[in-house]
Amino acid sequence: MQTIILFACLVSTYLMVIAKRMPALIMGFRYQSFFLFLVTLLMAIAERRIDLYSIAGLLLALKVVLIPGLLYRIVARIKANENLGLFLNTQLSLLCALGFTCLSWVFSARLLAPGNVLVTTTLTIAFFMVLAGIFLMIFRMTALAQIIGLLVMENGMFLLASTVSGGMPFFVEIAIFFDVFVSVLIMGFFVYRINKLFTHVDVNKLSRLKG
Amino acid sequence: MRTIALSLLELLLFIAISPFFSGLITKIKNNIRMRTGQSIFQPYYNLAKLFSKGEVVSDTASWIFKAAPFVVIASTLTAALIVPLFIVPGSMPRLGDFLALIFIFALGRFFLALAALDTGSSFGGMGSSREMFIASLVEPALLLVVFAVSLRYGSTDVAALSGMHTVTVSSLMAAGALFLVTIAETARIPIDNQETHLELTMVHEAMVLEYSGRSLAFIEMASSIKQMIWFLLIAGIVFPVASPGPAGIAHLAVWILWYMTRIVIIALAVAVLEISVAKMRLFRAADFLGFAFVLGIIAVVCAVLGI
Repeated sequence: MQTIILFACLVSTYLMVIAKRMPALIMGFRYQSFFLFLVTLLMAIAERRIDLYSIAGLLLALKVVLIPGLLYRIVARIKANENLGLFLNTQLSLLCALGFTCLSWVFSARLLAPGNVLVTTTLTIAFFMVLAGIFLMIFRMTALAQIIGLLVMENGMFLLASTVSGGMPFFVEIAIFFDVFVSVLIMGFFVYRINKLFTHVDVNKLSRLKG
Repeated sequence: MRTIALSLLELLLFIAISPFFSGLITKIKNNIRMRTGQSIFQPYYNLAKLFSKGEVVSDTASWIFKAAPFVVIASTLTAALIVPLFIVPGSMPRLGDFLALIFIFALGRFFLALAALDTGSSFGGMGSSREMFIASLVEPALLLVVFAVSLRYGSTDVAALSGMHTVTVSSLMAAGALFLVTIAETARIPIDNQETHLELTMVHEAMVLEYSGRSLAFIEMASSIKQMIWFLLIAGIVFPVASPGPAGIAHLAVWILWYMTRIVIIALAVAVLEISVAKMRLFRAADFLGFAFVLGIIAVVCAVLGI
């Protein structure tokens, strides 16, 4: 069951990589976070830990409901829903993502002792999510997409931590959640300001104003 | 002798119930849109009407135009013989395997594309070139699905599908890829739209635009049978069914009911997808089917890993 949900995470990350418009990207993020919530919930049920339950609850509240909702509002407000500013077209992005999956598979197979397929695949998917986040940050030109890239990386880190060490300490986790939420808020305002000042959110064009 | 009779019976069942699913999908879509819509049995009425009507054939058409509907229906029926509907695997004569299925469909498609070019109408040419573009993207994804399934079972026989009793990551991924392929193959919305004859968007409809009467009925019938075959394949992967156990009419009835319910579930999924997404630009089809391809690769890798 856990493996299936993890692969659903993987598929939703792929959906984000091929997304061409902002709402599709946010929807992909919402799915990804939801599947992550399910994984955490399953883990909490299996290990009977109260703190994991609360972390899962926070994950659901923040990353599935609040942050995507906020991003949708920003998109609707600055009307940036059309162009994502693809630096690499979707087919090439998909190929890159496949390459990343392969890379993280090789890496995690080297890192861990062979044998336990479940742990290796979890690690692979976690690494892949981090790489996909970096990819989204580098190859998508709008500021909003870069925020989402950061969030995807954070999701990957969360999964990584929970595989390798059975989750970070409770208070660290809570602190990270609020950090992420506040940073999304701040970056959202930034994007709003950028849009107001420059009438676009294309990061490439920001440097033209120098001098 | 008995197996041949059973196979023929199965084929007749295929022909009899396949238009029902087309009607069902249209009905579900209309209900979601808060419309009354046509009856579920409308495809049957359409077929009856078309069979009773005369045919108009262009003067410039060659024999290909006249032969194509027969090739299409024949290849589809052959495919229907390969895919087991009810009959327990092992009891049917081995006509061909999964790979044969793909190429039998390709034969029908090839003739339909030729026939569309034959009359020299510009819509036909557009339709067939688009159809070939989509087909070239569909085939790799489809082959990967076949590899994933047959790696798990150890045989490329289609009946092997009903021999898988558990659902794994590999089979789910394969089913996902097959679902996207089915959308493309049955001319459903993100790729093609069956309901419209708008010149800029139609693919399958553009190819059959010149047909009328009995030939059109054959082509329509072939596409609904083809659709049912795809649904059956997906259902075989996602909802594996054990062969009927000890006899008993009640048991058998439940079994048949569950068999049909599986296809209805797939049809429901297709209808909901059609309602909830918009038609894609033609060149976005490459992204759509590229995604199916990636799902297929993941399915194969998972099948090799055994998860």
